[in-house]
Amino acid sequence: MMESRPTIRQRIRTEFGRVTKSVMRIGWPQTDKDRAAVMISSIFLHIHPARVSKHALKPSYTLGLGLISAILFGILTLTGLALMLYYVPYPAEAYRSMKDLQFVVTFGVILRNMHRWSAHAMVAVVFFHMCRVFWTGSYKTPREFNWVIGVVLFLLTLLLSFTGYLLPWDQLAFWAITVGTNIAAYAPVVGDQIKFLLLGGHVIGPTTLLRFYVMHCVLLPLAVVMLVSLHIWRVRKDGLSGAIRVDTPVAEKGGAFPASTKTYGLMALTRRPSASVDARDPNDEVFAWPHLLYRELLVTVAVIVALHTVSLLFMAPLESIADPTRTPNPAKAPWYFLGLQELVSHSAFIGGVLVPGLIVLALVALPYLDRGTQGSGRWFAPERRVANTIYTAVVIVAVILTIIGTFFRGPNWGWVWPW
Amino acid sequence: MREPQIAPPKLNVTFAVLGIAFLAIFSWVFFHEEGAEWRSAQSRFRQIEVRVKNPHQLAQAAEVGGLRQIWLPELNRVDRCTTCHLGIDDPAFVNAPAPFTTHPGTWLTTHPPERFGCTTCHDGQGEATDVEHAAHRPTELFDRPMRPLETIEANCGTCHRSLDPPEAPRLAEGRRLIVASGCVSCHDIPGFEGMTFSGPALDSIGNKIRPAWLGGWLHDPKSYLPNSKMADFRLTPNEIASLQAFLLSLRAQLPLDSTGVRWNRANTDAGRALFGELRCVTCHAIEGRGGTMGPELTRIGDKVKRDWLFSFLKDPHRAQPATAMLQYRLTDDQLRDLTAFLLEEYRTGDAGPEPPPAPADPLAIAAGRETFIRRGCASCHHLAGIPDSGHLGPSLAGVADRDPEQLTYGAPGVRRTIENYLFLKLEKPDALVQPSLMPTFHFTPIQAADIALALTGLRKTELPASYVITHDPPPAYTPAGPFGELATRYRCMSCHSVNGSGGTLSTVPFDRIGSQLQRDYIATYLMNPGAVRVSVEARMPVFHMLKDEAQTIATYFDSVFRDAAIDTYDTQFSPADERRGGELYAQFGCAGCHQLNTKGGYVGPDLTDTGRRLKPGWIAAWLASPEKYKPGTLQPDYGLSAADVRALTAYLSGLGRATRTTPVTKPGGPVSR
Repeated sequence: MMESRPTIRQRIRTEFGRVTKSVMRIGWPQTDKDRAAVMISSIFLHIHPARVSKHALKPSYTLGLGLISAILFGILTLTGLALMLYYVPYPAEAYRSMKDLQFVVTFGVILRNMHRWSAHAMVAVVFFHMCRVFWTGSYKTPREFNWVIGVVLFLLTLLLSFTGYLLPWDQLAFWAITVGTNIAAYAPVVGDQIKFLLLGGHVIGPTTLLRFYVMHCVLLPLAVVMLVSLHIWRVRKDGLSGAIRVDTPVAEKGGAFPASTKTYGLMALTRRPSASVDARDPNDEVFAWPHLLYRELLVTVAVIVALHTVSLLFMAPLESIADPTRTPNPAKAPWYFLGLQELVSHSAFIGGVLVPGLIVLALVALPYLDRGTQGSGRWFAPERRVANTIYTAVVIVAVILTIIGTFFRGPNWGWVWPW
Repeated sequence: MREPQIAPPKLNVTFAVLGIAFLAIFSWVFFHEEGAEWRSAQSRFRQIEVRVKNPHQLAQAAEVGGLRQIWLPELNRVDRCTTCHLGIDDPAFVNAPAPFTTHPGTWLTTHPPERFGCTTCHDGQGEATDVEHAAHRPTELFDRPMRPLETIEANCGTCHRSLDPPEAPRLAEGRRLIVASGCVSCHDIPGFEGMTFSGPALDSIGNKIRPAWLGGWLHDPKSYLPNSKMADFRLTPNEIASLQAFLLSLRAQLPLDSTGVRWNRANTDAGRALFGELRCVTCHAIEGRGGTMGPELTRIGDKVKRDWLFSFLKDPHRAQPATAMLQYRLTDDQLRDLTAFLLEEYRTGDAGPEPPPAPADPLAIAAGRETFIRRGCASCHHLAGIPDSGHLGPSLAGVADRDPEQLTYGAPGVRRTIENYLFLKLEKPDALVQPSLMPTFHFTPIQAADIALALTGLRKTELPASYVITHDPPPAYTPAGPFGELATRYRCMSCHSVNGSGGTLSTVPFDRIGSQLQRDYIATYLMNPGAVRVSVEARMPVFHMLKDEAQTIATYFDSVFRDAAIDTYDTQFSPADERRGGELYAQFGCAGCHQLNTKGGYVGPDLTDTGRRLKPGWIAAWLASPEKYKPGTLQPDYGLSAADVRALTAYLSGLGRATRTTPVTKPGGPVSR
């Protein structure tokens, strides 16, 4: 009697423990050391460092923008997969599947709304993330190349959103893509070829829809997954900007982790020791589990709640079915290209070629031109006044142009007041 | 065991708040899905169903649940209206409240939902499953909201392409106005292909028209003819002056025949008698009374020149090959008297002697010619040397699917719909866009609305052929040979029809006239046509036809326009048949409508000479089924047995015969009995 009761409980516990153990080899970590070990050995967690600096953990420093971008990408992947179950990438059917999602598919409305608003949010958040990195000088050595990857990711985000814009096959989609691809055609020499390649013809048609669908659902997401992995990997491996005091791989420190003396080529892309905690002040650091993970969980929940709320309150737009013979006036590109469209309205060459080309070029070259190591890790460091001023001015101009294009442009791209 | 610092308490509070918000938002999502409008509508329907139906019916009724839709792949439509409109095809719900009530009328029988769905007729967004998105009322959310019943006929027109679809009076009226107003001269309108609209040829208008009249006409045609076919082109005084100069310079074609006429010997009284005898008022109105095929003559004296009118009456077809007017066989003296009478009698005042043709200013003539071409006058008026300007206006194909936002409405605050645009355009063509070449038709608002309604059935997407109900106009009938020449001279086809082609003024088509009427009767009648039915106002003109001509026509009729079904009737009647027929004549009260030996009513034709007029086979066929030969006729269908038909036929074909084989019951005798 005395033995049987604990036996049942114990047996359940033992069996459960066995299953748990088979799932998580070392069990639920109980000590910081164990947790650190999990952070290193788990495939999902090892993109985190075992310990993070308190400074980097401050919400006011990173604003969590990179994390939010990643979360949004995750949500977009999940909702996107669900939408693919209903979507037929052929003109009239595509539009009908939108109507079906809206009217008959269970949770269809919320699914589409979530995907739509997450996509817009992602463009904005990735952009703000880039701004944050600039304003805190975080692209500096040794993170130069990671900044370049980030720029590419920003462009990929725009492309993802742009290719997805066509898929509903409504008037909004059709004409936004018409305008967008026309801007692409202003590229020198190969402009028309790029447009032809994008559209699979000279005008938007079934081929275009299929191409955009494949790009949106396969090519671009794959590229983003690859580059995001690289991006995070390098954040982790490269170490903090401007914090370099040691230029060569150092010997093992602290005994817990073996230091690597390997160097890598482009494939692994790091000269830094793995899991490096070199030359950092241990007192300034806390363990990633729980301090980082807990915060990440909170941000994730917050993003999910916010997106659901927005999706319940605001419907994703769906206009009447695409009609190549009915040009809306004005026909507008997606909002993030309206700054460019505004420029194009003044000069096709400036808006379609010069400005976007120069901006991308400048962004890519930036970390190699701005080689000073001062002023990293702080917002608007006084040492970086000139760089910050230039960048901020460009951002403000871009934002103003976008706002003008969005709200102040009416029929024939004439000036209207939005109120 | 546990290490002390896991997370700061502040974060735990955040976690709690976020967790609750997370749960709340997910409940909201589920509530949002479960609380869909159509679900509550269906549960309300179930409550009503219990009240409306008895337990037996309830057991038989299909369980209502879930979304319902009618899928019409051919029409590319999905209508989910029946998700909420659950009682629409069930007569038990005739008194149920909306949206469960039964569809009124027999429309669902004639237009089964499984073939037509709902939005084909009603418009609205069939794919939607909530009231707002279904667009029951005009909404921002959908381009084509449901049509109110007042204008639903527009959608009838999408499938029903015949000119006057039954049960759609507004649509039919709209289409009639489109034809009558000559819209087809300037616009390409699907469904009206091949139709033409033309005014008189203008090649010798300078010989025809009194200059003073022309200015007033160009300024406002309605001031001369309230029913003018020509619309108001809103010409400027300069345009009118130059057009006048140009038109009056046109005296090319017609060599006038009136040179030897002694006008001083004109006898207007003889002209007046002729005017009555020729039955001019069958086609031409005087003071608003009379036919509408030709122009009203009330003020003809103000308009035309004497010599021209004489020549025109003598041979209308030389000046106007397309005219509906026949060529009477009159002597020059008769023509002179008629001309003099018309010009004397029908004028507002003494227009005075005709002014000599003013020397024309070549510049003004050139300007007038330019105006003539620019305003598309040649679309309706033939004029040698100026090509038909064709369709000057835009094509109206698919006009209903044009983007209403891209049209100009002339004034702010106007309802921006295609229908409203068309309405405004029809009412005041120049109020929307200036300058507009479209003339003002002075439509009443109701007329404009009817035309707009007819035009809004013109959709861009083509329907599957199986949905289109069309009646192609019959091929034009143009007789050849000697009869053809006579039919052309006397313009038979202006009033009579063959195979549905021709005029509609006459109630007697030629199709089987050779089986209906006796040859001799036709020949005699053509020489001096009288009223077969005195109640009919439009009468056949007295052609002053030659005897040979009448014989030619009668022979042609008798040999060509035959109907074998009528001809094969056995005409060997027995005296008993004839006697019984006389009794039946009285029994059915035929004399209520028909004259017989000056007794009887005036509704139907006089039957006194029936035996010399009609062929027996025709009498029998007509009596058996009058509706078959003349839909809408006043002749009642008594549902006579073959024997009764035969008896009546025997009796009637004996009437008026010179020689009788048997004595006939005295007509009227049985009536008094």
